[in-house]
Amino acid sequence: MIKKSPLQTEIPFEALDPKRIHMESSRKQALDQGRTRLLVTGVVFAMAFVVLGGRLVDLTRHGKDGAPKWQAMSSSAIAAPVVTRGDVRDRNGHILATSLPTKSLYVDSRETLRGIRADEAADKLMSVMPELDRAQVLARIKSGGRQVWLARNLTPDQVWSINSLGIPGFGFRDEEQRVYPFGPTFAHVLGYTDVDGKGIAGMERTFQSKLGTHGESIDLSIDMRVQAVLHEELGKAKDKFDAVGAAGVVMDVKTGEILAMASLPDFDPNTRQGSLGDAGFNRVTKGVYEMGSTFKLFNTAMALDTGTVGMSDGYDASEPIRVSRFTISDYHAKNRWLSVPEILVHSSNIGSAKMALDVGAKKQKEYLRRFGLLGSTDVELPEVGNPLYPARWGDISTMTISYGHGIAVSPLQVAAGVSALINGGVMITPTLVKRSDDNPVQGKRVLKAKTSDAMRRLMRKVVRDGTGGNAEVKGYLVGGKTGTAEKQVSGGYDKKTLISSFVGAFPMTNPRFVVLVVVDEPKGIKESYGYATGGWVAAPAVGGVIERLGPIFGVVPDQGSDDAEENPEHPLYVPVSNGPKQTAWLRGGLTHAAY
Amino acid sequence: MSKRSGLMRHTTMLFVLLAGGISTVLFSVKYQVHELEDSHARLVKELGEERRALHVLNAEWATLNDPRRLELLAVEYLGLQPIPPRQVVRPDAMLDIPVRELTFGEETQ
Repeated sequence: MIKKSPLQTEIPFEALDPKRIHMESSRKQALDQGRTRLLVTGVVFAMAFVVLGGRLVDLTRHGKDGAPKWQAMSSSAIAAPVVTRGDVRDRNGHILATSLPTKSLYVDSRETLRGIRADEAADKLMSVMPELDRAQVLARIKSGGRQVWLARNLTPDQVWSINSLGIPGFGFRDEEQRVYPFGPTFAHVLGYTDVDGKGIAGMERTFQSKLGTHGESIDLSIDMRVQAVLHEELGKAKDKFDAVGAAGVVMDVKTGEILAMASLPDFDPNTRQGSLGDAGFNRVTKGVYEMGSTFKLFNTAMALDTGTVGMSDGYDASEPIRVSRFTISDYHAKNRWLSVPEILVHSSNIGSAKMALDVGAKKQKEYLRRFGLLGSTDVELPEVGNPLYPARWGDISTMTISYGHGIAVSPLQVAAGVSALINGGVMITPTLVKRSDDNPVQGKRVLKAKTSDAMRRLMRKVVRDGTGGNAEVKGYLVGGKTGTAEKQVSGGYDKKTLISSFVGAFPMTNPRFVVLVVVDEPKGIKESYGYATGGWVAAPAVGGVIERLGPIFGVVPDQGSDDAEENPEHPLYVPVSNGPKQTAWLRGGLTHAAY
Repeated sequence: MSKRSGLMRHTTMLFVLLAGGISTVLFSVKYQVHELEDSHARLVKELGEERRALHVLNAEWATLNDPRRLELLAVEYLGLQPIPPRQVVRPDAMLDIPVRELTFGEETQ
């Protein structure tokens, strides 16, 4: 019998204790070696398991790299915008432009032809969408293309009924449609987008990257209510006087925010098709016009601010000025000596021209530049116009520019400039974006506060006693200035083709809003005694806007009696100057003898 | 010797039981997670639909708020008209409005 080796006996593993086993050295050595290998393998496995365990713990904890971020996933799914393009809202958060998710129908014509006859498919589609052109639909189904559009931007109802037809090869793709809930009311402010939702005009274009690429919404300075009022009043004035166009803007004089801006004729951005022509032209920012007498405001402010004249100074306006082939005469001629307030109140061209000559071309240019009238219109729209003024600014230019001829600016520039005249003398760049911390008011002083105070009194007086009486709204102490300019028609001026405007502001004791209305080519009517001037056409429109604008902003009307402003203590009192006590010195350089 | 092997057997049994228990728990947790994931996905989908509806309704709300439309409706059904400036007063002007003394049951003639 072969001797049993110790290993063959039933020795439990734990009994393999070196202290208990005594073997020959070679066997012992082999056993030690095996045990060491076992140990090493065991340790390696143990470590592998530790690593696996660690990874398991790691994975169970949220938010680690490699593990799905559940929280992040769910919130991103929740926060994902419904549409990719941002909304445009007014200053109170009302939606002015938004995108709606829609579906568009395409046909995979190979699939269709495999399952059904083309004319059968066309008939079926026509049964739910009768507005389509059958021949065209049929041609597209037979075209052989893999994705041919049949109809875009369908309503959910249409999608449902097309789906229920069960035509093979018809499919839908998610798209977005830009909608403008208020139609033409905001047309020129918002602009519009093309079929692919890219902004190509107005604020849609200016903020294309913010709205389109980043999908952020923007808040405009526009107030929906004021815009509706302005749009309506402009429409009324345009229709009443059978004008070719009208433009209007309402501005906050302290912040430069544009509360409303409209240009007629306009268009409906929802159903825009093809070229817009005149309807696409923004008369407020792109159009430049010779504004006429509203410029006398800038002229008077400049003369007062430089100290050239005082409130009780004046000029002889008894005879027209004749320089070479030009004659400067007064429309509302008084044929006598006029004080500075009277020059404005009766809108005297002669007085204004003489005043401008006294100030001089250099200062005049500097002041007009300060009021932002010589640079391009500065606002966040792509459609802005550049002013037109003479390259050679001689004495004749100085005189005509003093009453708003020989220089063409955009209506928005006038509104912004007038804001600076009455807000204490600070020029603020107009903006269409709501003021916030990112868009703070940045003003530049252009006039002495004292001049601004005088301008408030003078503008009030124009409405109280002068050409702007039709803009009066009882209690609101409206101030303003009319303007009537002849349009240039084939190189000359036409007395029948006018640009009639009125720039108003209220309440003049502490002005808050400037309202400007410009009417393009109004025709005189019976009610206005045949007149189509700013005082008859634009002033009532401004009055209409102010009458409805004031209550919207809770402006409390002045309770003073009608003659309170004749009291020298009243902040809007303008002293009456009744005779040629003083006449400002007129430079002798010009061909003085001519007038 | 036999005492040691007994201990060994117990340990093995213990680990087998433990492993079995843990597997059961793991199995049920896995299913729970599946269910939660399903309901999570469903909720996210519903939320998306609600948000979509909200977006469309907001647009509709904007359309219904068209001042021109409201004006027409107000004139037709409510007999309202724009507020003229004289109706806007300072808060303290309220004090000047005389208080009408009414006795219940008595109709003013």
